[in-house]
Amino acid sequence: MSQAIFQTGLYASLALCALGLLWRVSAWFRLRIGPDARAVAPWQRLVAMFRGAASALASQRLFRILGTFFLDVLLLRRLFADEKLRWLAHLLMFVGFTLLLLMHALAPLVTAKLFPGYQPTLAPYLFLRDVFGAMVLVGLALFLFGRRRQRTALPLLRRPIDSAFAALLAFVLVSGFLLEADKIASPRAFYRMTEQFIGTNDPARLEPLRALWASEFGVAFDDLKAPIAPRLVEEGRKLHRDACASCHAQPASAFVSYPVARLLAPVTGLLDQAGADVWLLYLHLFACFLGLASLPFTRFFHVLAAPISLLVNAAAPTREFSAAGRVSRRALALDACVRCGICDTHCVVAPLARYLDNPGLLPSHKLVGTGALASGRLLRSGQEHDGLPEEALRAAEGAFLCTDCGRCTSRCPVGLDLADLWEAGRGDLRSAGLPAPAQWVQARPALAWAESLEADPLQHILSDADASSAPLSADRRSFSRCVQCQTCTNVCPVVAHSNDIGQGVDLTPQKVMNLLRLGMRDLTLGSRMVWDCANCYQCQEHCPEGIRVADIMYELRALAVQRLGAVRSRGEAS
Amino acid sequence: MKYALFMGCKVPSQLPAYEASTRAVLGHLGVALVDLEFSCCGYPARDVSRDAFVVAAARNLALAERAGLDLLVPSSCCFGTLRHAIQFLGEDAGLRARVRQALAAEGLAWSGSARVEHLLPVLAREVGVDALAAAVRAPRTGLRVAAQYGCHALRPSNVTRLDNPMAPTIFETLISVTGATAVDWPRRLDCCGDPLHQANTPLSERMTRAKITDALESGAEAICTVCPHCHLRFDAVQAGSTDPGIRTLLYTQLLGLAMGLPAKSLGL
Repeated sequence: MSQAIFQTGLYASLALCALGLLWRVSAWFRLRIGPDARAVAPWQRLVAMFRGAASALASQRLFRILGTFFLDVLLLRRLFADEKLRWLAHLLMFVGFTLLLLMHALAPLVTAKLFPGYQPTLAPYLFLRDVFGAMVLVGLALFLFGRRRQRTALPLLRRPIDSAFAALLAFVLVSGFLLEADKIASPRAFYRMTEQFIGTNDPARLEPLRALWASEFGVAFDDLKAPIAPRLVEEGRKLHRDACASCHAQPASAFVSYPVARLLAPVTGLLDQAGADVWLLYLHLFACFLGLASLPFTRFFHVLAAPISLLVNAAAPTREFSAAGRVSRRALALDACVRCGICDTHCVVAPLARYLDNPGLLPSHKLVGTGALASGRLLRSGQEHDGLPEEALRAAEGAFLCTDCGRCTSRCPVGLDLADLWEAGRGDLRSAGLPAPAQWVQARPALAWAESLEADPLQHILSDADASSAPLSADRRSFSRCVQCQTCTNVCPVVAHSNDIGQGVDLTPQKVMNLLRLGMRDLTLGSRMVWDCANCYQCQEHCPEGIRVADIMYELRALAVQRLGAVRSRGEAS
Repeated sequence: MKYALFMGCKVPSQLPAYEASTRAVLGHLGVALVDLEFSCCGYPARDVSRDAFVVAAARNLALAERAGLDLLVPSSCCFGTLRHAIQFLGEDAGLRARVRQALAAEGLAWSGSARVEHLLPVLAREVGVDALAAAVRAPRTGLRVAAQYGCHALRPSNVTRLDNPMAPTIFETLISVTGATAVDWPRRLDCCGDPLHQANTPLSERMTRAKITDALESGAEAICTVCPHCHLRFDAVQAGSTDPGIRTLLYTQLLGLAMGLPAKSLGL
């Protein structure tokens, strides 16, 4: 391979990688997540980072950080606790790839410096290269196997670029093994070396060496007569000792490439004619360069972000961070997330996500949504009408159904403080006009909502579904017995306390029941009474007619979310 | 006695003392607790979709059923929600079919065989007041507490079947067993305000404050709780406030102290 092409490729991909890293890392100080983020400028966050890092490293916390580095970053302790198979897959890939990078890819810089006698064709490097390569491939296979099993349960977040990167990684490994196998089996490579080190490529003169290399080194000469005489092999061994052995060991220890070379034997002549050793090398190197250049833009950026996140965690819990530090930490979390979906499988509202068909409830999706909202992408997505984008509405539904149980935070293999991220994300949603239902419904008077509903041509379609989703308020028999005795209103703590704080309710429970009796349900949906109801069930318990007042209140709220939500999403309520 | 412990979402992350004290106390009383990976009881989804809330609840019931266990629920809100789901499933065949279909996707099934029990009746009726009295080693004589049932444990009584909803006594009886005195406080059956915390914060705080004031005026030294929502709401409203405050005490902590269990094991 020409040195110029190699160097151009290397430096170009290194430059792209560096620029990409700079861009991604700068986002940790640029991206604003949470209402408190507006108060701090990027430079303040940068200063806070340096200050925080310095004070952590100069204190006793250093030992905790070191412990985290070994146990969590290198040995992936948190993953081990939860998912043994995935832990094994990751450890194989991580260790295999790192060692391959150091020993093989950076050989002139690392291995040759540490071991002056280094030659890639000597033991133990022949063997180790295959060990490390096999580790990565086995890890990758286990990882894909684990994903396949998991996919049946919950929707996983995946971008094509991430799958492409995984395929690229596999390609680097496979092309490496093929290249090595081709070089082992290739007579052309054999003659190139004899010419260089013995000064001839005359098959007749090299007959003893060819006999040895054919029988013990896997070279597939197509003009060698079988059986090979043992005497010739022994003669070749002498020549080998003098001319080759100092930098060429028997390749059988390359336990992947060598068997592949034996398999390639029948087509080695064709491969040699096609110049396979050259283009396989180009493919292998080009794939490496492509991987290097694209790394910052894929999910695999987590190889940098996740360790940093773990070390930051070890420095101090979120609550001890300065405001500027907390904000940066959230932006870092977006990149440190490995999209493993472990949070999703343990999420307590996952059954709701499935039933409501809204993956926006799941932590991994919420994390991406939080980032998309902060970067402005979420509100731009699919905004073809005046209303709010469907995706943003679903993200908001997910955010406000979260129970803050903390399971995602405690299970996260990279230790993200997701609880803090959700709280910040909800703040951002509120600022973006996407608050919880109680807020967006009450932003308009009940009467205005009722008028919108009346004017909405699509509402009758939804009404047909009411009988199954809101059976009590759709069935006259459940409230027609109401005698307007006001017992419900008299026992209602919301009515009493609302008066106390000088914001009397618009309707009372008894009036809500009366509107239902009059067939004016739409008027109740946006009412303060319905939305301020505490569902303490005093009304229902005390009703002399046995009307399920509080159950009906719940139904009216669910109906409002559904039907007023439909009006809102079309932008008719803005 | 063996139950699947349904701790709910709030407790593990925000009130771990409730879980610790529940396990400590029940362990000493011979109630075996089994852990299943339960999901949300469905409570937050009641505002969004009745079907979704019932599916979420039924999933937990089905998990317990598969393990052949009844559920022990120390949270009044989760308890009420699970009981409501059973009621809705019982009265609506269409809903039942939709829920069964949703559960089948996960290989689960609901038939209704798993009972849902609140902590209070399990202690008062299954363990029994006599056994509790026998276990009390260090009675908290002189301590005056206000019993906070939690609305969803009491009402609607045809669903919860905990006690007389107008004049319940079960909690007070359980407090007496510990040697402490349950004060009579006018607002004891009122809502703590927690459900409105997000929707209307001033109204919610007003309701919580009214109860705290009432408990103090009634001579209570602590509000004794059996629901994490009530407990955390009382604590949150008082945090950073200069108004006269009252401490909160989980019933399992009170009982544990009376049984002579180390304070640390009760999260104190």
